[in-house]
Amino acid sequence: MTAADSTRPAPLRLGVSTVGLAVPLLVLGAVAMTTHRFLSLDNARAILASSAFVGITAIGATLVMIAGSGVSLAASQTATVVAMFFLATQQLGLAAAVLIALAAGATLTALQGAIVGYWHANPIVLSIAAGFAIGGATTWFSGGTPVYPRTRAFDVLNGTPFGLPLAVYVLLAVTLLAELTLRRTTAGRQMYLVGENRAAARAAGLPVGRVTVIAWACFGVCIALTGVFLASFTTSATVTLGGTLTLDAIAAVLVGGTAITGGRGSALRTLGGAVLISVISDVLLLRGFSTGIQILVKGILVLAVVVTVHLRTTRGRQ
Amino acid sequence: MMRRWVARPEAVMPLVSILVVLGAFGCSPLLNGKPLQVFDVYNALQGFAQLGLLALAIGLTMIAGEFDLSVVGTYALGGMLAVQLGAKSPVLGVLAALGAGAAVGLVQGALIARLRIASMPVTLATYIALLGLTYAMSGGLSKSYPNSAATLWVDQSLGGVFSPRSLLTLTAFLIAAAVLGFTKLGRELRAIGSDRRASRVAGVRVDRRLIAVFTISGVLAALGGALLSYSYASANPDPGLQPLILAAVAALLGGVSLAGGRGAPLGVLAGALSVAVLAQIVAVTALPDFTTQLLYAALLAVIVAIESPGLRASLDRLRARHADG
Amino acid sequence: MQPRVVEVDRLTRAFNGVPAVRDVSFAVAAGEIHGLCGHNGAGKSTVVKMLTGQLEPDGGRIVIGGEPVELRSRSAAQRAGVALVDQELSVVPALTVLENMLLGDIHVPMANRRRSAVARCRRVLDDMGLERIDPDQPVSTLSIGERQLIEIAKALSQHARLVILDEPTATLTDVESAYVFAAIRRVAATGCSLVFVSHRLPEVLELCDAVTVLRNGRSVATTPAARLTVDELIVQMLGEPPHRLAPTRMADPDLAHALRIAGLTVPARLKDFSLNARAGRIYALAGQLGSGASDALRAVAGLHPAATGTVELRDRAVPLGDPVGAARRGIAFLSNDRKSEGLFLDKSVAANLTATRLPSLARAGILQPHREHATAQTVAERCGLPEHRLGEPMAALSGGNQQKAFVGRCLERNDVFALLLDEPTRGVDIGGRAAIHQLLREAADNGLVVLLASTELEELLELGDVIITMRDGHIVHRYDGDVDGGRLMRDMTQGRK
Repeated sequence: MTAADSTRPAPLRLGVSTVGLAVPLLVLGAVAMTTHRFLSLDNARAILASSAFVGITAIGATLVMIAGSGVSLAASQTATVVAMFFLATQQLGLAAAVLIALAAGATLTALQGAIVGYWHANPIVLSIAAGFAIGGATTWFSGGTPVYPRTRAFDVLNGTPFGLPLAVYVLLAVTLLAELTLRRTTAGRQMYLVGENRAAARAAGLPVGRVTVIAWACFGVCIALTGVFLASFTTSATVTLGGTLTLDAIAAVLVGGTAITGGRGSALRTLGGAVLISVISDVLLLRGFSTGIQILVKGILVLAVVVTVHLRTTRGRQ
Repeated sequence: MMRRWVARPEAVMPLVSILVVLGAFGCSPLLNGKPLQVFDVYNALQGFAQLGLLALAIGLTMIAGEFDLSVVGTYALGGMLAVQLGAKSPVLGVLAALGAGAAVGLVQGALIARLRIASMPVTLATYIALLGLTYAMSGGLSKSYPNSAATLWVDQSLGGVFSPRSLLTLTAFLIAAAVLGFTKLGRELRAIGSDRRASRVAGVRVDRRLIAVFTISGVLAALGGALLSYSYASANPDPGLQPLILAAVAALLGGVSLAGGRGAPLGVLAGALSVAVLAQIVAVTALPDFTTQLLYAALLAVIVAIESPGLRASLDRLRARHADG
Repeated sequence: MQPRVVEVDRLTRAFNGVPAVRDVSFAVAAGEIHGLCGHNGAGKSTVVKMLTGQLEPDGGRIVIGGEPVELRSRSAAQRAGVALVDQELSVVPALTVLENMLLGDIHVPMANRRRSAVARCRRVLDDMGLERIDPDQPVSTLSIGERQLIEIAKALSQHARLVILDEPTATLTDVESAYVFAAIRRVAATGCSLVFVSHRLPEVLELCDAVTVLRNGRSVATTPAARLTVDELIVQMLGEPPHRLAPTRMADPDLAHALRIAGLTVPARLKDFSLNARAGRIYALAGQLGSGASDALRAVAGLHPAATGTVELRDRAVPLGDPVGAARRGIAFLSNDRKSEGLFLDKSVAANLTATRLPSLARAGILQPHREHATAQTVAERCGLPEHRLGEPMAALSGGNQQKAFVGRCLERNDVFALLLDEPTRGVDIGGRAAIHQLLREAADNGLVVLLASTELEELLELGDVIITMRDGHIVHRYDGDVDGGRLMRDMTQGRK
C-alpha cells in the first residue's frame, strides 16, 4: 500500500465477488466487440453523448448518497424549474443566466440538505414534498404554458467541439471535480465519515449538518447544469422537461457500485455506471433489441450490482 | 384512556385528513355555485379505486419498515397482462396479473429478507426491470382492450355511488384490516417495522413475514393495475412515478410512518379516500392543478417535521435553555 | 432438599486463547433464587451467554431438568425453557403492553383471543404492582424503568424453567425494584428457578437464597445468603481488596482549574453534578450502570439536548446540547460503544486516526496527503499501533488495538484540552489495558484534563488522581487521597438505602 492509499477509504479487495463481477464484464466486452458497428468513432461519441445529461446529475446524487442521505426523488422537478429560470433570464446574458440557474438549483437542494442534516429528517419524504412544492410552483408561474427564451445566447451550449457535445466535456469536468472533492477535501472526507456512521460522527464532533448541506448543494449545482443543457437542447421548457431524470440518475449511481446506505463509493464509479448503462443500451440497440428490452436489462443490471455490492460489504465486515 | 388513544398519530392523522377533506368537499358548492351531485361522490370513489390498492400495497410494506418502489411497475405489468391475456376471459386476465404480481413480490421479498438488503435499491431495480418488461410487451405504446362488456361491467354504477372496482378495493381494505386486526400478524408486522432486532429476539419469524408482505404487495398492485386497465380499456406501459407518489402520500396521510412500525389498513383507507376526494374537489371547483401539489407539499412538510428526531432535540434544547434562564 | 433443576458443571470458555471462564460450577434448585456476583471481567456475562445459547462452551455441560442440553441458539434456549431479561430491551416501543406480552410467544394462537389475553395480562401486571399501567397503552409512553418491568413481566409469564435476570434493577427506582422482587418471589414460589445477576449486593443478599461468586473466571464459592454479609461478599469478589496508599499525583493547588462543571443536570439521569477539574489530572467517575457517570460525560460532550447547567473549559463557555460546539472548545469524547458510536469500522486505521483533526491537516479545505500520512504515522507510533496496519480497515483490528486507535484519535492535538472517556478499556485484554492507561497518563502529563467513567476497580485506583463515586445520578463521595477498593465498591453498590 502506498502512502496515498493508506488514507483512502474502503480499499478494493479481491475475492469471489470481484471475480464474479469481472466475468460478466468480459462477456459484455466480447459481445460488444462482435457487434456490428460498435467499434466506430461515431458510436463511441453516441455512447458518451447519451450518458452526459443524466451523468452530470448522477455525479451530484453520488455525493448525497455517500453522505448518508440516500436518494432524492425531486431531481426532475428541480431540473425543470432551473431550465425555466435559465430560459427566462437569457436577456441578461449567457453567463448571468447560467449563474442564476446554478444558484437556484443549489439553493433549492441546500435547503433540503439543511433539514436532513440538522434535523435528521427523512430524505425521501422530504424530497417528495419538495418535488410537489417545486412542481406546483413551476406550474403556477409558468401558467402551464412553455417558457420561451427571448434570445438564443444559449446555442453556444449546443456546440460539439471535436465532435463531442459540450455536455460530455462538462460531465468529465464535473466528475473530476467531484472526485477531487471526495478524496482530497475535508468536506469530502467528512461526507464519507458521516455517511458511514452518523452517530459516531456526531459523537466525534464532526459537523454533520454542514457536511450534509454541502453535499446537497453540490447535487443542486449538478441538477442545474443538467437543466441548463436540457433547456438549450429543447429550446423551450415545459413542466415535463425533467422527464425520467430522477430515476435514471439513481440507477447510474447504483450501477456504479455506490452503496445506498452511505459511506462508500466515488464519482468515478458513477461515471463508469452511467457509461456502462449507455454501452449496454447501445449494444442492445445495435443488435436490434427494442427499447423495452434495453430498459429491462438496465433493471436487471442495477439489481445485480446492488446485490453484489451488498454481499461484498457484509462479507467484508465478517 | 380516550386521550391516550387520540394522541396516537396513526389514529389522529387519518381521522383529521378525512374529516377536513370531507368538510371541504361538502363546502365546495360554495366555490362554484353548483350543488353536490351523487355523480361527484361516484367520481371520488372511482378515484379511490384507482389509487386505493396501490396505497394499501405500499402502506403494508411501509408498516413493516420497508419501501416497495416497484408497486407502480407491478401495477403497469398487471394492467398489461390483464389486457393482453384477458380479451376473451377477463377473469383469466386478472388471474394472470395476480400471478405475476405474486411472483415479483415473492422474489423481492426473498432477496430482501434472506440477504438483509435495504428494500429501496432492490425495489428500484425491479421497477426499472418491470418498466422494461411492459415496454417490451407493448412496443412502447398503450395496448387497447377489446372486451367492452368487461369495461362497462367494472365501472357500472351500484347504488349510484359505488362500482365493482371501488367495492373490490374497499373489500381488500376490509380484509386486510380484519387479518391484521384479529390475528397476531398485525402486531408482528408492526414489531418488524418498529424494531427488527427486538422482534427477532422475541421470536417473531421475521423473514417469513417480510416475504409474505412483499408478495401481498405485489398481488394488490397487480390487481389494481388490472382493474384500471379494464376500466380505461387500455394498458399504459409507463404510468410514471406519479401513482407511486400519490399512493405514498395516501399512506402517510393515513398515519403510516416511513420509519416503520406504525399504521393500519383502515388508516390507509382514510388516507386514500382523502387523496381521492381532494382530487374530486379540485375537479369540481375547477381550481388550478397546482393547488393540490402545493397542498401536498405543505402536508408532507408537516409530517416530515413531526417525524424528525433532530427537531425534537432542538426543541428540547430550547426548553433547556429557557429553564437555565 | 429440592431437586436441582439447573446444574452448571465445570463450564469453560476462552476467547482467542484467553480463558474467560474456567471450571465454573453451581446448581440451582426448583424454586430457588440464585445470585451470581463478580467484579467486571469475572466472567458473569460469559456464563449468562452460555446459559442462553448465545455462546457455546468449550468444556463442561449444562443440565436442565436432569437432562444435559446443548444450547446452540437463543431460540434453542427458549425451547429448553430458559428466559433472559437483560439490559438490551426486547420490548418494541411502537406496540402496546399487551401486544408485547404476546409477541413471539409460541403458545399464543394465530387468531387473537382478546378477552383471555387481556385478563392474563392484567393479572401479570397487577402481580408486578403495575395496576396503573393499561394493557392497551403503547410502550413508547412508558419510562425506561417501566419498560424494563414489562420485559421482566414478559419473561416471567412465559412459563420458563429458568429465568436469568441480568442487572434488572440497574435503572429502576426503589419502588419499581420492590415490585420486581415481589414478582420474582412469586415466580420462585411456583417452582421456577431464577438466576439473579447484580452488582447491588444488599439487594442480592435480601432477595437470593444462595449466592455464587465468580472471580477471574472461576467460581470462588457458593454460599447460602443467610450466612453472608456485604463485606464478606466483597472479599470473595476481590480476594484481597486492592488498596491505594497514596494518590498517584499530589494535588497541586497552582494548577489552573481547566474544566469547570456546575449544576449539570439531565432529566431523570443526572442531578446537579459539579466538578472543578485541573489540567494534568485524571478524574475517575466510579459508578455502575444507571449511576449517571456516563450521562455526565455525554452531557459535557453535548450529546444530551435536554441538559442544563454550565460548563467552562479554559474560561470559555462550552455550549450544551451541541457536540460540534463542544468539540470546537476542545472537548474530545469517547463513547463506551466504540462499534456503533465511535469508530468508522469500514474506513482504514489511518482515516480513523485523522477523522477528527482534518481541518488541521488541510490548507483552504484541501487535505495535504503528506501531512495526513505523517500525522497518522506519528499517532500510530504514539499508541503502539503497528504502522504496517495503517491501511487496513479498522474492523480488522483486535479490540485492544481498536481502543488504542480510538484514544489515539484525540492525542497529539493542540486543540484538545479535555479528554472524556466512557469505559476506556471495555472489551480490552490486560496488555491493551496497560497500554491505554499509559496513554492516558501521558495525555494528562501533557496538560490535558482527563475525565473518565469506569466500573473497573483496578482501573479506578490505578488511574484516578481523584475518584468520585456516583450512584443514582448523584455524587456520593470524592476521594483525593487514601482509598480502599472495598470502600469504593460499597459506595457504588449500596443500592438505595
